[in-house]
Amino acid sequence: MSATGSDAIREPALVRYSAIAVAIAFLGLSVVVPLASVLVQAFGQGAGRFLAALREPETWAAIRLTLLTAAISVPLNTAFGVAAAWLIARYDFRGKGVLTTLIDLPFSISPVIAGLIFVLLFGRQGLFGPLLEAHDVQIIFAVPGIVLATTFVTLPFVAREVLPLMQSQGSNEEEAALTLGASGWQVFFRVTLPKIRFGLVTGVILCNARAMGEFGAVSVVSGHVRGLTNTMPLQVEILYNEYNLVGAFSVASLLTLLAMVTLVAKKLLERSKAVRR
Amino acid sequence: MKPLALLFALAGTAALADTTLLNVSYDPTRELYQDVNAAFAKAWKAKTGETVTINQSHGGSGKQARAVIDGLEADVATLALGYDVDALHQKGKLIPADWQKRLPNQSAPYTSTIVFVVRKGNPKQIHDWDDLLKPGVLVVTPNPKTSGGARWNYLAAWGSALRKNGGDEAKARDFVTQLYRQVPILDSGARGATTTFGQRNIGHVLLAWENEAFLLTQELGKDRFEIITPSVSILAEPPVTVVDRYADKHGTRKVAQAYLDFLYTPEGQAIVAKHHFRPRTGAQPERPQLFTIDEVFGGWTKAQQTHFADRGVFDQIYEGGK
Amino acid sequence: MSVTVEGLTKKFAPGGRPAVHQATFTAPSGAITTLLGPSGSGKTTVLRMIAGLEAADAGTVRLGALDCTRLPVRERGVGVVFQGYALFKHLSVRRNIAFGLEVRRRPKAEIDRRVEELLALVQLEALGDRLPDQLSGGQQQRVAFARALAIEPRVLLLDEPFGALDSRVRVELRTWLAELHRKTHLTTILVTHDQDEALELSQQVVVMNEGRIEQIGSPDEIYDRPATAFVAAFIGNANVLRGTVKEGQAALGAHALGALGSAPEGSAVQAFVRPDEVKLARADPDAPAMSLGLVEALTRIGGFVKVGLRLPSGERLTVELGKAEFEALSVSQGDRVLVDLGGAKIFVEDYSI
Repeated sequence: MSATGSDAIREPALVRYSAIAVAIAFLGLSVVVPLASVLVQAFGQGAGRFLAALREPETWAAIRLTLLTAAISVPLNTAFGVAAAWLIARYDFRGKGVLTTLIDLPFSISPVIAGLIFVLLFGRQGLFGPLLEAHDVQIIFAVPGIVLATTFVTLPFVAREVLPLMQSQGSNEEEAALTLGASGWQVFFRVTLPKIRFGLVTGVILCNARAMGEFGAVSVVSGHVRGLTNTMPLQVEILYNEYNLVGAFSVASLLTLLAMVTLVAKKLLERSKAVRR
Repeated sequence: MKPLALLFALAGTAALADTTLLNVSYDPTRELYQDVNAAFAKAWKAKTGETVTINQSHGGSGKQARAVIDGLEADVATLALGYDVDALHQKGKLIPADWQKRLPNQSAPYTSTIVFVVRKGNPKQIHDWDDLLKPGVLVVTPNPKTSGGARWNYLAAWGSALRKNGGDEAKARDFVTQLYRQVPILDSGARGATTTFGQRNIGHVLLAWENEAFLLTQELGKDRFEIITPSVSILAEPPVTVVDRYADKHGTRKVAQAYLDFLYTPEGQAIVAKHHFRPRTGAQPERPQLFTIDEVFGGWTKAQQTHFADRGVFDQIYEGGK
Repeated sequence: MSVTVEGLTKKFAPGGRPAVHQATFTAPSGAITTLLGPSGSGKTTVLRMIAGLEAADAGTVRLGALDCTRLPVRERGVGVVFQGYALFKHLSVRRNIAFGLEVRRRPKAEIDRRVEELLALVQLEALGDRLPDQLSGGQQQRVAFARALAIEPRVLLLDEPFGALDSRVRVELRTWLAELHRKTHLTTILVTHDQDEALELSQQVVVMNEGRIEQIGSPDEIYDRPATAFVAAFIGNANVLRGTVKEGQAALGAHALGALGSAPEGSAVQAFVRPDEVKLARADPDAPAMSLGLVEALTRIGGFVKVGLRLPSGERLTVELGKAEFEALSVSQGDRVLVDLGGAKIFVEDYSI
């Protein structure tokens, strides 16, 4: 079928063009205008102010903390997501249904609750509080708590992208590879990984975008110590509340740019896939 | 332990200081403590030769107290309410029961009060509490059920009405009921109400902390707003305390103590005044006449129960106000 | 190298019917052995257990003298051609063929040489750099063969290798496979539901039904001397006629066939007769109606004519005649013809001769 669809399902031109116009107007109002306004606010007083705002020590610390958090939680969730999808797609075992549900759980509970779970576990009055205090290990209100909460909230992304791919593709190619003498790892890296790579990239990108952008769960476990435990989204809120609009929108637009870079990377990958077809 | 330590090193900028204090405070004190911290660090260095770095954490006062109880290891807590500091003792066993007696002025080195912000030229001619009930005046104040600041606004209105009416509870209630009928939107937090008034241009008068009112006019334009001080208002005494348990654990009790003492020194009090909190020393302005929660409402806990608990006075009048 | 399975049993659902029950046979060295049966007969499961892709619940698999029942797939050295090819879609034809050598870390020069040899063997020299999706079904199938042969397997296992292809390509590839086998002389086990494929290609046929082996034999033996009613019915699309034992013979309407010896009188009897085994003759106008068949339908299929008959018992019979034979007979719809069931195989219930 051609990209524009068959004549049989075509609407009259007027209907088509108005539908397109409505869609574009809607996207423009709900996505483009707000994003543009963020950029205008950030750069409105010049690129110098923008860069100076990002160099401010507390903001710079927030940027580094956000990157560090993503750098830990994204690989962790990628490894976990692929492993879990592999298990669920390939094997039948007791508790498979439970595992599948558990993977979705972070999507279905409020991020604030997700943060509170860690407070209840690792807070001073929480389940492991006395143990952690005895060994002088700080988890919540510190970087480990932020990483944990972020990892929790972003856990489903990779698994959810990869699992349907693995399920629909079956395991014929893997079996073929085994009969050809490949070891388990060889099968994974030479056959499975290439098969799921586009889904995997999408999952990683979504996971990363959320890891950098997560507010609710991180806000609960952060402790908001300036220059130490504020991530970029928290810093945006703080700057905004302090009437530092240039600062707030500079950090916000940096976050937006990071998200757009990953989206563009995804588009490019999809195009390279289309070209190869 | 090693990897965790590494994480801190990677994330932190302050890890190299000789001594580090964490001051867990509430939202409007950020600029105040930024100045205090710099001045104290300098004074401490001059006195002892030691370098001290003070980290700050700000948020809603109740939420901050909760975080400290849950393990946010504050060396000092500088919160909005005695009620929140009490929680550190009652719920967290982090400080002794008599914490309030350890520093002068019930451990409150500065005070603040509720004032009005009106638009430039004061078009509705609002000068005191009664003027808020003029027909057509819209008052911006957040929801006392969710915002600490909003409770102060409410109690200030209630207490001033009591004063004017010789202690007549029924008249005070009528006044506050009418007042909330003239509130177009109940924002959930103080900063949201400020935005509603200042940036969305809704309402004719904003009830706010004095220091917030000054910050608003500074940041959003002195040519746009005026601050009106009513004849009577409430006295807020934000208390400070060393968090004994954490300070002892960190071995920072001495410097934490000195940090709080510094707030009472002339230098500290000057910084307090600069940020539009009211210092404890020096000449006090005539307006407004101030009353405390203890005098009028019998303490924060009682005020909380009577007015803001479920089906308390606020629920009754606001239900009725709808 | 021969392949021997003994007592091979596999159950997928606990308590359910076994997918394979006590399968025992030997695939002789250098020959093509076919596992033939309808879908669900367990033939693919047997193949997968030989390959090591499925673990047997009981029984053993031996390659030559080596018991490899517990040996992991990758150490068995079997070449498998899968139904639907299972080519690596992201790799070129060349890399597909090279896969087994690459994972064995053979020197690059050797791999390149071997891949070129195999491309020539499967006549795909010009298509080495294509991706599998850019090839026709038949070409993909040949890549699958080359890939399986690249590792110089001890045995070649083929699971419905032509199942997804259209009939013309199937026939071509069958000839091609026979030639390939003449060149390589690899011990080959072929799974198929297509009896023509089995009868044409194999030296030995193992007929399976509902997880059990029905008969093992040469294609001729299977065709001419079916051991069970199932084999008789399955091979050659035989007509089935039902009757009873009467005076030592099978009584099927007016026909009395065979010598059933000691079979108990009155037992149920099934007779299987293939469409090309029935002989027809013009009926004598005086012959009794009881032994005649009524011509209900005539269908010409190329060089054959399919004659649909109804017997006096009401049973239907399909007969295939060569075109010349049909013209000599010269019958038309509605005529009655004499029916000779002499070639029928007869099975008495729970008893066979």
